[in-house]
Amino acid sequence: MSLQLLFDALALGGIYAIAALGIALIFGVMRLVNFAHGQFIACAVFALIVPSTDALAVLGLGALPAPVLVPLILLIGAGLAVAAEALVFRPMRNASPVALMVGSFALGVALQNLLLVLYGGRPKAVSLWAELGQPVQVGSASVPLLQLIVIAAVAVILAGLALMLRKSRLGLEMRAAAEDFTMARMLGVRSNRVISGAFALSGALAAVVALVLVAQTGVADVRMGGQIMLVAFIATVVGGMGSLSGAVAAGLGIGAASALLQAGLPADARPFRDAFLYGGVILVLLFRPQGLFAPVGAKPRV
Amino acid sequence: MAKLGIFDLAVRYGKLTAIADLSFTVAEGQRVFVSGPNGAGKSSLLSAIAGSVRTAHGRIEMDGDILSGLGPEAIARRGLSMVPEGRRIFAGLSVLENLTVGTGIRRDRGAVADDLETVFTAFPILRERARANAGALSGGQQQMLAIARALMTNPKVMLVDEPSLGLAPKVVDEVYDRLCQLQALRGLTLVIVEQSSARAARVGGRMLLMRGGRIVADGDATEFAARDLLTEAYFGGAA
Repeated sequence: MSLQLLFDALALGGIYAIAALGIALIFGVMRLVNFAHGQFIACAVFALIVPSTDALAVLGLGALPAPVLVPLILLIGAGLAVAAEALVFRPMRNASPVALMVGSFALGVALQNLLLVLYGGRPKAVSLWAELGQPVQVGSASVPLLQLIVIAAVAVILAGLALMLRKSRLGLEMRAAAEDFTMARMLGVRSNRVISGAFALSGALAAVVALVLVAQTGVADVRMGGQIMLVAFIATVVGGMGSLSGAVAAGLGIGAASALLQAGLPADARPFRDAFLYGGVILVLLFRPQGLFAPVGAKPRV
Repeated sequence: MAKLGIFDLAVRYGKLTAIADLSFTVAEGQRVFVSGPNGAGKSSLLSAIAGSVRTAHGRIEMDGDILSGLGPEAIARRGLSMVPEGRRIFAGLSVLENLTVGTGIRRDRGAVADDLETVFTAFPILRERARANAGALSGGQQQMLAIARALMTNPKVMLVDEPSLGLAPKVVDEVYDRLCQLQALRGLTLVIVEQSSARAARVGGRMLLMRGGRIVADGDATEFAARDLLTEAYFGGAA
């Protein structure tokens, strides 16, 4: 396997893993599959540019220097998710999981239409950190600088999140709540704090995906969260709903498989790459319907 | 004033009535067993007090404060802790983490360390397995962990739902020994669901007998065992 391929696989898989984590975090604590996650990503993308329906995008926040821009966009993502939870999901706290899921679809459609009204429906060219496209020589491979940054950022985020979940009080409460929410509450764990915390983290992760997508593609499109949301959702199912490490592993796996297929398939078969990929997903689910890493809390209780 | 007061309590699941017109009070430091056949409403009673099941009617008070209507986390913060049916330990967390979840509501950091020492002394196996995954413990050890975990919230009232379920008699003895020891040490008020009247009589305390969501008898556990009240509760008859 060439070095180039390894970097491709890691970068794509890393982004899928981050997106899948955003979904798994919320599912873990409140059994909600948040289908609005893709729109959280899209909103974070459009937060970079000035609202207008013109074809030409004018960078607003996106023009800020990266050390200011990155934390700001993460905050916006987190804030949007926390607000969505407070306005949409909190009033539905006692609703069935299916009702919650439908609620998340509705929220997603509402957010998408809000973007349509504010920004128009045409995709816009956005040049964010164009200088990161320049190739860097790593051994035998010539890799875009952006790809290296993405891989490093994903590693830092995963390590930071793991540390936070292991060592912090909020992390402990989130893990306990993910296993048995009512029991955690009976031990004094505040449900609002845990759920808001999960949404904040999820929203920040959506913003990370947004930044990477824009930097990679150079486009802002109202529909851009949908595709990655689908892959991320599949990754959480393959990983075992609610298992964070499972979501990361499956996200990495799907990204890596995608990159490998792209490089390895005969040229004639390459357009059908995704068919091969999702054929593999079906195979995995046939043999392990509960996912690769079904979490403890998902087991039926006596 | 009673430590715990239940007045005209009703609990319903849809159209099914689990508890109706139930009233009793518990004095501070008392040990109360709740017994009765399956479906009598014992677990529903405990869940209603702990706030994990909504009350349809009536009032639950602790130290004169009304608990009914509050969420489980608010009730835990007022000093009422639950050892639920089936133990419900966090299997993916370590033993020590299980014990730490409930300490977030406390401001007395120094006392938390003392309490940890207390439960480790009462249940040495938990100290030994502190770093292990709680899911790897045996049933008896998990029961001890569930009790210790509830104690770590520094409760004044503790509810224990069927601590003997699925455990060998010898292990049940040990669990009750420790529970009584800790009760004496901490001045706890205990409400325990226990199916076996013989067991309750041996441990000693007051006993409430439930049937069909109501209390049908209230007295000393030793008398219950002698008077065959349980048989009446299970098979009908005037109780």
